[in-house]
Amino acid sequence: MSGTDYNYDEQGQFFPYFILTITSLVTIPVTYSLLKPSKELESTATRISSDFKPEHADLIEGQRKKQKRRERRLKRFFVSVGGWAIMAWMTYLMFTTAEINEKIWDPYEVLGLSRSASEKEIKKRYRKLSLTEHPDKRHENLAQNITTEVINDHWVNVVKAFKSLTDEEIRNNWLQYGHPDGKQSFSIGIALPKWIVTEGHGKYVLLMYALALGVILPYTVGKWWYGLQRMTREKILVSSAGKLFKEYDNDQGESGVLNALSAGDEFEEVLKGHKAEEGLSKLEQKVLSDASDSPVLTSLTAKDRKKLADLEDSRRRKALTLLWAYLGRIELNDDALNDEKFEVAPIALKLNEAYTAIALAYGNTKAVISAYHTSQNLIQALRPGASPLEQLPHFTPAIAQAAEAERARTHLSVQEFLQISEQQRKSRVLRPGLLTDAQYRQAMAVASQLPVLHVEKAFFKVVGEKFVTPSSLVQFIIKCRFIPPGSTNIPAVQPSDLEDVDPDEGDVAAITGRNDDRSGQKPIQPPLAYAPYFPRDHAPRWHIFLADSKQGKVAVPPTAFTTFDKPILDESGNHTFNVQTLKMQFGSPPQPGNYTFVMHMVCDSYIGMDTKMEVTLKVEDASKAALVEEEDEISEPDEDTLAGQMRVLKDGGVPKKKKQLEDDSSDDGSDTEGDVDSESETDTDTDTDDE
Amino acid sequence: MWPFDAVDWLTLSIPFAYLFILVGSLAVFSSLFRKRKAAKAASLAPWFPPNLQRDVYLTLLHQEEPRVPDSMLKAALLRRATEDIHRIVQIRNGKAALQVLLQRGSVGDDLWQRFQRAEKEIEEELRDVVNEANAFAPNWGQIIFQSASEIAQNTMLREQLSTVLSTSKSEKEWWEKRKAEIEAELLGEVDQEKRVKQ
Repeated sequence: MSGTDYNYDEQGQFFPYFILTITSLVTIPVTYSLLKPSKELESTATRISSDFKPEHADLIEGQRKKQKRRERRLKRFFVSVGGWAIMAWMTYLMFTTAEINEKIWDPYEVLGLSRSASEKEIKKRYRKLSLTEHPDKRHENLAQNITTEVINDHWVNVVKAFKSLTDEEIRNNWLQYGHPDGKQSFSIGIALPKWIVTEGHGKYVLLMYALALGVILPYTVGKWWYGLQRMTREKILVSSAGKLFKEYDNDQGESGVLNALSAGDEFEEVLKGHKAEEGLSKLEQKVLSDASDSPVLTSLTAKDRKKLADLEDSRRRKALTLLWAYLGRIELNDDALNDEKFEVAPIALKLNEAYTAIALAYGNTKAVISAYHTSQNLIQALRPGASPLEQLPHFTPAIAQAAEAERARTHLSVQEFLQISEQQRKSRVLRPGLLTDAQYRQAMAVASQLPVLHVEKAFFKVVGEKFVTPSSLVQFIIKCRFIPPGSTNIPAVQPSDLEDVDPDEGDVAAITGRNDDRSGQKPIQPPLAYAPYFPRDHAPRWHIFLADSKQGKVAVPPTAFTTFDKPILDESGNHTFNVQTLKMQFGSPPQPGNYTFVMHMVCDSYIGMDTKMEVTLKVEDASKAALVEEEDEISEPDEDTLAGQMRVLKDGGVPKKKKQLEDDSSDDGSDTEGDVDSESETDTDTDTDDE
Repeated sequence: MWPFDAVDWLTLSIPFAYLFILVGSLAVFSSLFRKRKAAKAASLAPWFPPNLQRDVYLTLLHQEEPRVPDSMLKAALLRRATEDIHRIVQIRNGKAALQVLLQRGSVGDDLWQRFQRAEKEIEEELRDVVNEANAFAPNWGQIIFQSASEIAQNTMLREQLSTVLSTSKSEKEWWEKRKAEIEAELLGEVDQEKRVKQ
């Protein structure tokens, strides 16, 4: 009887289990990703509160909603709903089919005994039952549906059970195999319904296989692969990236960057078909004609205008003109055009990200700064060369001009404007035709919430060393505070806040330089950029990089900072003026000497808040650093601590004392020969190549 | 005949048909794929616009009636070399950046192919110019690019100068206006002071 026997699932009792497992494998992760709250910066940050409503607020809001609709995960929603439905159905099937399961005949149950009953008990029970259950003793009762047949069957059952339990062999079978007939054949159920293998269905099954393996699989893989190939790392189309690279020019300013951005193929989506031409002449007349006195004209050089007019592709010309209309905040008197005007801005910002990456690959400081400034312009909807004051609500070019009063060619930044006494400020802008008192207060309320990052101190250091040694991993540490424009009573900086204390020696993560992992704490985010005209939410990013001012090249590529380590506001919403620590790392140059860099700190969202600062990296000879350590006689780390091992690795395994002697002697010889020469010739620029 | 009668031709043909279809479809796919790839490569847009200076030079060179004087041909060749200098500078500057971008996946493979093609083209172009120059005067080929690069730099400087100078008019206007405003302000103050004194 023992043998292996494959059964298809005829009653459909296992099939639901199979389907349930497979569906839950897909459904549960999809549902999780659907319901998981977005961790993106834009969705967790606070906002700068203001009740200012820009013109066409409805259009801007419409664009925002459109984006939300695009981000809505409809597909995932349907997949998870369908998945849960299937799972529910399968569970239902499991419960309903479970009852069909035939029971194995159990003589103990028939006799109403427990399994541990002895032979004596069985016999006693049988005798007792024979008194009540024997067909001779029982009577038909049709009312309760008890016929002679039922009574007979029951009795036969009882006799059978008794016999099987009193028969030695059967009883042993029961105890050993759980079945009166002895060992049962080993049966394997295949959780597939039988109709799959029944005659005549084969071709449908084959067809489904062919469809799955021959069509659906290649299609999905191909779609994924080509979709991947179409986009670059910056999530723009590859063709756009190529065009941007071609349009890139080291020397073009912000208006040149805008011109380059308009080459992107992403605008095609907005300006599809007839939209490429529609309203173009009206638009050009509004934005570019000399008669229109649009504010854009002052920021467009003659060369740029010629370039724009020479563009053959009308779609690109329209995209660029729309961008200029957006940056000039020009009213186009046409809802469709106004809507398109707001729609092109986020696209341009995305393309600008790719353009920034290209500028960084070239490493030209001016081009990088132009790209960052274009980002500021796009987010604030301000043309290049506009006054930073126009970032505030109600400030038009005319009001900004009145506010600046000096009539200089340079503009006042928001911070500078708020340093002027309140009275003087009011006297400049509170005039008929300019601002009303309420508007002024609204603008000032926004200004006092802008996050201006003020650098208190910037220095270089190597963890665990007193000096920066050649070819070591240098940390550039920036200590800064958020000081909103116009804030008074700014507390003095505690000197202890400006120091950077080395982590403990046992702190592996910190020593190896991965100490910025603040995974335990919730990072502190500054509020979303105040950009009433930009139809997206944008979290401000601060880019910090070091540049070589002589060559005009980027020496240490930018690090973007979006979150900070200390709270910016306290519970009651006041500024804490906490000193924030920003760190970036790079390898120090291989030769000792003084290297002067210019640190640029550029916020990508606000105009006029850039910081430029000269910092000097003093790289000391390795032997000097070692000497100081020896004099100090502070902890020479043990060989078996981690720090000690790292030191051994760094020194190349040579015992330390010996090596130092060698170093000293070799240095004595070379110092006299001409280190000065080599020092002056050293290339300050380690990262970029020069032609 | 014995062996042929015993064979069930229909059943035998099935495996062969299978093999034929399999191999055939793969072959068709591969040839189509290659053709499309080649067509795509051929249709890649050139990196640089048509070289006008080269065309001018070649037209002058091949003009028979009347023959173009040598001096004019030499000038055209020098202009062609200058244009080449512009191009080679662009190629040299872009190469490292493009390699970095390609590695990071910020640009596509197409662009790199176009770039390499442009690089090869410019190499050929340079060689051609050197040969042409040597034909006019021995050893001119060795210095023609030096002169050309000087010309290119000079032109660039002049352009920059002209853009700076072109702003002078508006700057002057602005300054005149500003001066007038300051003057008016000062005079106004003086007047006020006088009035106060009186």
